[in-house]
Amino acid sequence: MTTFRLILKEMLQRKFNFLLSLLAVVIAAALFVSFFTTGESSKSETIRLMRDIGFNLRIIPKKTNMEKFWQTGFSEYTMPESHVYDLATHGGISYAHLTAILQKKLTWEGREVFLTGIAPEISPPGKKKTPMIFSIEQGNVYIGYEIAQSLGLGKGDRIDIFGKSFIIAQSLSESGSEDDIRIYAHLHDVQGLLKMENSINEIKALQCLCIVNNEQINSLEMLREQLAGILPDAKVILIQNIASAREGQRLMAERYFGFIIPFVSVVCMTWIGILAMLNVRERRQEIGIMRALGYGSGKIAALFLGRAVIIGLIGAVVGFSVGTSLALKFGPVIFKVTANMIEPRIQLLYWAIIASPAMCALSVFIPAMSAVAQDPAITLREE
Amino acid sequence: MVRLDKASKTYRTKHGDVQALDRVSLQIQKGELVIIRGPSGSGKTTLLLSAGGMLRPTEGHVIVNNNDIYAMSKRERAIFRAENIGFVFQLFHLVPYLNIIDNVLMPTGVGRSRFGQKDAKEWLNRLNLAERMHHRPSELSAGEKQRTAIARAMLKRPQIILADEPTGNLDPENSDEIIGYLAEYHSSGGTVIVVTHGKAVDQYADRIVYLKKGHIDKP
Ligand SMILES: Nc1ncnc2c1ncn2[C@@H]1O[C@H](COP(=O)(O)OP(=O)(O)OP(=O)(O)O)[C@@H](O)[C@H]1O
Ligand SMILES: [Mg+2]
Repeated sequence: MTTFRLILKEMLQRKFNFLLSLLAVVIAAALFVSFFTTGESSKSETIRLMRDIGFNLRIIPKKTNMEKFWQTGFSEYTMPESHVYDLATHGGISYAHLTAILQKKLTWEGREVFLTGIAPEISPPGKKKTPMIFSIEQGNVYIGYEIAQSLGLGKGDRIDIFGKSFIIAQSLSESGSEDDIRIYAHLHDVQGLLKMENSINEIKALQCLCIVNNEQINSLEMLREQLAGILPDAKVILIQNIASAREGQRLMAERYFGFIIPFVSVVCMTWIGILAMLNVRERRQEIGIMRALGYGSGKIAALFLGRAVIIGLIGAVVGFSVGTSLALKFGPVIFKVTANMIEPRIQLLYWAIIASPAMCALSVFIPAMSAVAQDPAITLREE
Repeated sequence: MVRLDKASKTYRTKHGDVQALDRVSLQIQKGELVIIRGPSGSGKTTLLLSAGGMLRPTEGHVIVNNNDIYAMSKRERAIFRAENIGFVFQLFHLVPYLNIIDNVLMPTGVGRSRFGQKDAKEWLNRLNLAERMHHRPSELSAGEKQRTAIARAMLKRPQIILADEPTGNLDPENSDEIIGYLAEYHSSGGTVIVVTHGKAVDQYADRIVYLKKGHIDKP
């Protein structure tokens, strides 16, 4: 009669206690597996997105007062236009689009407008990309929705800005932002109008990545360092993009589960411990007779610890299956990542197979010790 | 074979001490069948458990096969029990989730054992339990349960059988049968110490020891 056989027979005979204990393990393991299955997938997708997309940056003069910047939407300081070419030709940074911008808020026709001068986009050498920001020919302007509406202007009309005549090449549709009171013109026109030749106050850099040893590195830290080297009088603001929004969502889910997982683990371990205690109480006389037959403390403890380990193993396998199915089914909804990114992670099964029996054994440690400590001379007298 | 040397046992409880054994000295020879008899609470069970290495006397010694069993470590004593002593209890104490043959095989779970399935079946045959082999204890009559417990106690052919009111829950017919098996074990050379109120065993006994308030007394 081996200990293993005894354990199996007992579990199969006292199914209720066994199944309840198993349920606790399955719940904990399934939660753990489903979280990491979705979480890992979500993480790798975010990393891929960031690697492919890179960062979208606004580069502005270092001296800029940020309080003012966020209020007005532009920097009151300027930097030389040549900065954008320095950046474009440096080689330490890869980008998809670079644009030099000079913008000011001013009064025109009795109203406050933004005058934004945009230079034609610079694409990386050798790669002609479809512009992300529109480019405007000299002598032309695009006007925002609000301006067009209130002044009754439209495409093809001529307007006069500070004594210079422009043709409205485009009247923009409503954006619901300050862009509705914006006049876009060519950078050099705006520089001329404002008498700020060769000055800009912003560079928009889209999909930027750092290049180190011919490899693109996706780290905002390194990118900032590189930029500081190239443009010492500039600083960088990250424009939130899809990738970083998703990263934020993932981190939030991680924090949430970071609380839930230990909590559920403790509840399940307590639950398993209580069930084991009931099991020990129910088996007092059995333990007593084993003592009379010469079973040692090790064997008695092994009976309960072994039982917990077996429950932990079965629970790990069942919990892995349940957790993986749940992740495949509900993961895409919760994490809003593409369903095909979430796939079964076999490493989690290995982890579950190690961790869950260990935690089960830990949970039943006190009940097992109480079984060992029982005095058979007392239990064998009990009716 | 079994010797108690001024063995005393005091149970300490919240409501005061209970002197269950009071300097009992008793010597039982190899192959003897000894009956222990006495009123309820006189210390019979206490004496039997002490003799079997299950209950340490507060004072005195218990010598079995020339070993002072309470001078051994707990572990050594367990092994000693497994190799030398078989217990039979009034309440059978079968393991409820094991069938009859597995219950009889329980003693093989400790120590190296040359006994196994074959011996268990032999005992079950001899005790008329062959047909019950795969039943669970809950499906058995009281007499069948005690026969199972007897088979379990005797499986490894221990030198000493300790039986505490083995017929206490049985009708006279079943009692006689159980006593018969104990007598048989005795006649094949085993040492048997049995606590019993019944007189059926008297004819086989070498000796009757009377206990009264923890002392050995005259009848
Ligand atoms: N665990 C215990 N704690 C306190 N007192 C105990 C304990 N076990 C037994 N006793 C007391 O010790 C005395 C002897 O008990 P024991 O069971 O040995 O008597 P017994 O002769 O076997 O009685 P019975 O014929 O009723 O079985 C009794 O007075 C009993 O109340
Ligand atoms: Mg008694």
